[in-house]
Amino acid sequence: MRTLTKHTKGALLCVLLCAIGGVLFTGMSPQAKEQTQFIVGFDAEFPPYGYMDESGEYVGFDLSLAEEVCRRNDWTLVKRPIAWDSKDSELKSGSISCLWNGFTMNGREKDYTWSTPYVDNSQVVVIRKDSGIKKLSDLKNKILVVQSDSSALSALTGEDATEDNKKLADSLKELQQVGDYNSALMNLESGMVDAVAMDYGVAAYQLEGKEDTFILLDERLSTEKYGIGFKLGNTKLRDQVQTSLLEMLYDGTFERIAKEWKLDSSTCLSFDDKTYADGKPVPAIDTDSLSKATEKQDASSDAVKVKKKAQKMSIREITRQLSSGMLATLAIFFLTLLFSMPLGLLLTAIRMSRFKPLQWIAKIYISIMRGTPLMLQLLVVFFAPYYVLDVKTPYSYRFMAVIIGFSLNYAAYFAEIYRSGFQGIPIGQREAAAIMGYSRLQTFFHILFPQMVQRVMPPVTNEIITLVKDTSLAFALSYAEMFTMAKQIAAAQTSLTALFVAGVFYYLFNFIVAYGMEMIEKRLDYYR
Amino acid sequence: MNILEMKHIKKSFSDKAVLQDIDLCVSTGEVVSILGPSGSGKSTLLRCATFLERADSGEISYLGENVVRNDSSGNALYPKRKDLQKAQSNFGLVFQDFNLFPHYTVMKNITHAPIAIQKRAKEEVFQEARQLLAKVGLTDKEDAYPCELSGGQQQRVAIARALALQPKILYFDEPTSALDPEITAEILRVLKQLAAEKMTMVIVTHEIDFARMVSDRVVFMDNGYVVEDGEPEDVIDNPKNERTKAFLKKLHV
Repeated sequence: MRTLTKHTKGALLCVLLCAIGGVLFTGMSPQAKEQTQFIVGFDAEFPPYGYMDESGEYVGFDLSLAEEVCRRNDWTLVKRPIAWDSKDSELKSGSISCLWNGFTMNGREKDYTWSTPYVDNSQVVVIRKDSGIKKLSDLKNKILVVQSDSSALSALTGEDATEDNKKLADSLKELQQVGDYNSALMNLESGMVDAVAMDYGVAAYQLEGKEDTFILLDERLSTEKYGIGFKLGNTKLRDQVQTSLLEMLYDGTFERIAKEWKLDSSTCLSFDDKTYADGKPVPAIDTDSLSKATEKQDASSDAVKVKKKAQKMSIREITRQLSSGMLATLAIFFLTLLFSMPLGLLLTAIRMSRFKPLQWIAKIYISIMRGTPLMLQLLVVFFAPYYVLDVKTPYSYRFMAVIIGFSLNYAAYFAEIYRSGFQGIPIGQREAAAIMGYSRLQTFFHILFPQMVQRVMPPVTNEIITLVKDTSLAFALSYAEMFTMAKQIAAAQTSLTALFVAGVFYYLFNFIVAYGMEMIEKRLDYYR
Repeated sequence: MNILEMKHIKKSFSDKAVLQDIDLCVSTGEVVSILGPSGSGKSTLLRCATFLERADSGEISYLGENVVRNDSSGNALYPKRKDLQKAQSNFGLVFQDFNLFPHYTVMKNITHAPIAIQKRAKEEVFQEARQLLAKVGLTDKEDAYPCELSGGQQQRVAIARALALQPKILYFDEPTSALDPEITAEILRVLKQLAAEKMTMVIVTHEIDFARMVSDRVVFMDNGYVVEDGEPEDVIDNPKNERTKAFLKKLHV
């Protein structure tokens, strides 16, 4: 940095600060609130109910239904992909209006305020065609995979599981849990596991075009129904959505959308359901203003454009779609560095202060930040305002929470790196400065700090490279950085290509980072 | 006038008494060498004189002005940091391992403190620094970094750096013991020149010949006491104390 004059340094700093200010400002600016927002929370790796198509749009049967409901109520639809594990926190904190995503009611009747069931979905078992497994009992001593926290899992081991299913689960060699169906099926294809249990609708989507590899067992683990889950007690919104759905059923729109997604054989929305799961009556619809679906409309439904499974994307298309995620990844990376590096220095100063209580505060902070998973810290930062302070956070807080969580965590690591850098400087440097009349502060800024910087370059490089890869942890807060998007695309495409592209990006990014750091290190290497 | 006056200095490191009732006065223009075997306390004495180490009890004055004195219970009482820093501006210290600032060039090592700390005029400081570099024979090394210099060259830069702060008295802590014997001559030449210019100096060393050649007075320390104090010829060639005799004999063999 020797060649930079003081002025250019100052100018650079200004530009950087303005950029950050800009990012934060646009992030915080209130969204236009002319229309009521209807925010659908869904798992974007769950085709055909909700997933990312080849143009980068979130689509699916449930999202099409939600779109139509919003159109009829003059609401603005917000499609919000969430980390499935956080669904309850998201719903309770009000950051989503409902869970609408092939969401199984069975076993969860009392946890949510439900619509009436609209899809009858059975739990089926997928096997390799050549496996020789013919019926459920053949799964004895085999490895079965389910998605964690899924209906298939509760059908096998949940409180309401049937005796037959419990026996089946006990007879298995192993019941494995995975995060998404895509990796479950890859495990199956490669022979690492013997069978995968999943929802019928999902299986139908996943197996399309792979009929030579996979087949379904005729026997089913259970039958179950999908509903729309609202926050407990939110009956008003539930009734509004329910009414619109029934109107759609009445005028044939529901049927049309189901056909588009090839789910018409498994829908079960019906006027016969007069009460909800919680016993409350279903409101009647005003049929006068609607035209009943006619035979004629039914006949013309052959013309319905059936939605195809997401088309195979070329690597180029995948890259283009991932690019917005890359930007998000870069933003997390640079903002984290910008905040965590100075924060780390402050922490080092506290850690090395001669005032014992301060020292301890820093020690405990560092110990906690290094001793607990970053993912957990991110969840705490994001949900603490709601659960601890009862404050509803705006959507833009999601990104801020990512940056705050990462910065707090990385500051702890940087602080320890800086400390080792300072401690490696011979005591003679401090003594010489003291004799020459440097004050403590002058000694720090003129003598110690520049030497520390040179000393810590190798471990800092290491830490920065780790950060590049750690950015993917932002998925815990459903922030759509590149790796989250890659997983979504991989799920929709039922192929690993998107993950591979993401890997290449991480590698290239790190290659550039490592090269840049090497250059800086060389620059600083004018003395020893 | 006495530039430095130390009286009844005592210092222990966890029960081990390193300085036991030491008196040391240095007057203007004097060159004093402090000799003694390792562990005799000579470096600790220098560190107490420069406030790098705090004496347990005793008095220290610079230019007749008391800096450290005993309180009523006989413990050394140190002034506030600011007053200590003011007293520190009277002296310079040249370390055994130089302690040059590795990230500064030779020129910046010498000029940084006078400009940034003493707030003196840049041109004046630079001009003086060049004269000092000429004096220690390193005119062509202005832009070199310490790591590019030999040990002897680094030590000469360290001397120039100390001199640039215009001290009244200059301390040397074993200035040649990290250097090859042939390089010692370089340092000796610089010290002799400074002595000729009537620079007041205190040199802690265990090199007898070095002490004899440069100093007006030799102080011999052993086990935390000053056991002999006088002209180099008397202390080195006609020692009266048994410890001095034994030490010198060992070296002469």
